[in-house]
Parts: sequence; C-alpha cells; structure tokens
Amino acid sequence: MTYQIARTITRMLSGTVLLIIYLVQVTSRYQSGVLGMNELQSLAQLMLVFIGIGIGVTIAVEIVFHILYSIGIAVKESVKAGSCNDKDIEKEIGKNIEKNIKQDMVEDEMAKLIDLKSLRVGYVTAGIGFITSLIILVLGYPVFLMVNILFGSFFIAGIIEGLAKIVYYTRGV
Amino acid sequence: MGKKFEITNEIRKLRFFADEMTQQQLAEKAGVSRQTIVAVEGGKYNPSLELAFRIAQAFNVPIEEVFQYRAIEKKKKSNKKGDQS
Repeated sequence: MTYQIARTITRMLSGTVLLIIYLVQVTSRYQSGVLGMNELQSLAQLMLVFIGIGIGVTIAVEIVFHILYSIGIAVKESVKAGSCNDKDIEKEIGKNIEKNIKQDMVEDEMAKLIDLKSLRVGYVTAGIGFITSLIILVLGYPVFLMVNILFGSFFIAGIIEGLAKIVYYTRGV
Repeated sequence: MGKKFEITNEIRKLRFFADEMTQQQLAEKAGVSRQTIVAVEGGKYNPSLELAFRIAQAFNVPIEEVFQYRAIEKKKKSNKKGDQS
C-alpha cells in the first residue's frame, strides 16, 4: 500500500468514525429529549462542537499516521539492511530512511491532478446532499432533519472524495 | 473516420538498458514519487510535457525514444461488425 492510499484510508476512517459518533449523539439526545425538532440553537452548538472536534481529530490522526508511517519505513529499511542496532540505523540507514520518507511524501503533478479530480467528486456529493436537504424541506419534513442531512452530506462527501482518490490511484487518471 | 491515438512508452526497456535502474531511482531523477513512475510506466497516467522531458533526460535520450504517439487499431470492433454483416 502506498503512502497516498494509506493516508486517504486513514482520513476516511477518521471521517467515518466522526460521522457515526455525531449520528449517535444526535439520536441519543433527540430520544432523551435534550434536542427537539425546533431547537436548532442547541443543534447548531452540537455541530460547532463536532466541527472543532473534527479539526482536532484530523490533525491528531495526521500526526499519528506520519509517525507510524515513518516508523514502518524505518523498520522496513533496517530489516532490509539486516541490522536493528540503533547506531546502524542512525549512521548507515538513517539517510536512506529520510530519503525514502521524503520520496514517498512528494506531492507531484499526478497527486495534484488526483486531488483536483477527487475534490470535484466531493463537491458533487455535497451538492447532491444540499439539493436533497432542500427537497426534504419542500416535502414538509422539519428543518432539524434538513440541517442534519446538510451536515451529514459534508462528511459523506469527504468519504466519497477519499474513495474517488483510491480509485484514481489504483486504476489511473 | 477519426482514428484514436494512445501514448505508449518504453520506460521499462530503457530502465533495463540503464543497468536495471529501479523505479525509485528514476523517480528521484525525475523529481516525482515512485507511484507516479509506476502509473506512467503502466500507461495509467500520461505525464505532462515537462515530466516527459525530465524522464527522457534521466535516460539521456530524446523524448521520442521514451514516448510514442500511436494509432489504436480497432480489431475487435471491426471483427464484430464483419460477423454481423
């Protein structure tokens, strides 16, 4: 698995977990009566909290992922060299590890093109979510549901964007 | 009728003749990731003109020795049409 695919899967997983936690929170609060159909203010508070959590979690996941990925490369290189001594890693393999990590994390023209194309897929998904939320409102469903569909569509758009990225990386652009 | 064209490459062959240069080494010389070289070599991604020149430069050959622009022959479709008639 390449760096880009592994990174995309990690992001997708964290996004999916956040979406599930949000849905569980909203459902449980709604069932317990804390959130009502007309209490958009508390719903907006919850959403803002989740946006904040989402940013924090994304940063934390990125940091942990890069640390683990770098460790993975270091282990692979040291196994390849047939030695696991700290001195050897520092002196002989160290440069190789650094070079490999840098080489893997290069964002070249293909990565940029895939980013653009998958972003377009994400925008389309978010757009469909927006239209669906409007239809829901027109059909007479409460604003509570409309706002949740809108919010959820952004999370789903992020996940679908990740899926599109994986498809582009595996099948080609 | 308008012919369809495809871009093919000889990167695998050129790597072989360059002392079995690895994809990683070529990626380093061209300044891209190994994944991009894998995609270009497999015909899954057509590089920009600049990258094409950089790859050719890595092998010290002119660009037309690395990349070719060829017409695609539609054998299967023409055979099917022939069968139907």
